[in-house]
Amino acid sequence: MQDPGTFSLARHRPPKALISLVPMIDVMLILLVFFMVTSTYLNLDMIPAVKRADDPSQSVPQSTEGAGTTLMIRIGADGIPTLRGVGMETPALEALFIDRLQSSSALRVLVLPSGAADMQALVSVLDAATRAGVTNLRVVRLEVAE
Amino acid sequence: MKLSRPVTKQPPETIVALIDVVFFLLVFFMLIGRMDATAPFDVSPPTAATGADMPSGGITVSVSAEGDLAVDGIAVDDSALDSRVEERLAGTSETLVRINAHRDAELRHVLPLVTRLEALGARDVVLVVTPEPAPPVR
Repeated sequence: MQDPGTFSLARHRPPKALISLVPMIDVMLILLVFFMVTSTYLNLDMIPAVKRADDPSQSVPQSTEGAGTTLMIRIGADGIPTLRGVGMETPALEALFIDRLQSSSALRVLVLPSGAADMQALVSVLDAATRAGVTNLRVVRLEVAE
Repeated sequence: MKLSRPVTKQPPETIVALIDVVFFLLVFFMLIGRMDATAPFDVSPPTAATGADMPSGGITVSVSAEGDLAVDGIAVDDSALDSRVEERLAGTSETLVRINAHRDAELRHVLPLVTRLEALGARDVVLVVTPEPAPPVR
């Protein structure tokens, strides 16, 4: 029983947090682990094979001037590029492109790879041509006539 | 008279710093990671020194060293490739298709794909490559 001459002051209860942080931390940790596990860190580049500008319906017919500046590079089944039957290493091929570009800036390069050649062989030839500054390059392939 | 030293209350370890660190890590992984579907087989793209930056979006057709095919990470037969690509192209406004071929894949498996994809409505077809490793610094 309380003494009538005294009175007590009740301490205010601290207000309860409206939103708990713990679920948010849980969700963030799950997201973090998800992105860490599913992310891949391969540095990928690309070489265009078909561009919108290649659409034949929109292309301007090219003149046949400079028809003698076409270079046909074959890629054998062993992946070695050949020019008129002579096999060439990639640096020699690049030097050849540079040499031909000096005599004719409108050099056109056609690459005819064997179906048994691997992807790296084709990309190496495309790479050498691009490094040399060739801007007109086509990859052609043979199709069985129906 | 004995005076007792007032007990200093240790401040509670703040959880805000932890949240900050986790949040930065989360944003870091979201920014640098690629969310592409991986192929169901091993694909090591060929190396090239003159590759351009990879555009985002589009459809990825993977080709294994043996010629197996996959569209956006799902293996498909050669006969089902056209319908699968058509379905994917119809579901989006993207007309970009990436050919992610293994460096040892034979070109008879890869080159006809370009023509097929173009006939299916792809307006941009690119070959996926990896940059050549930089030469060691002497």
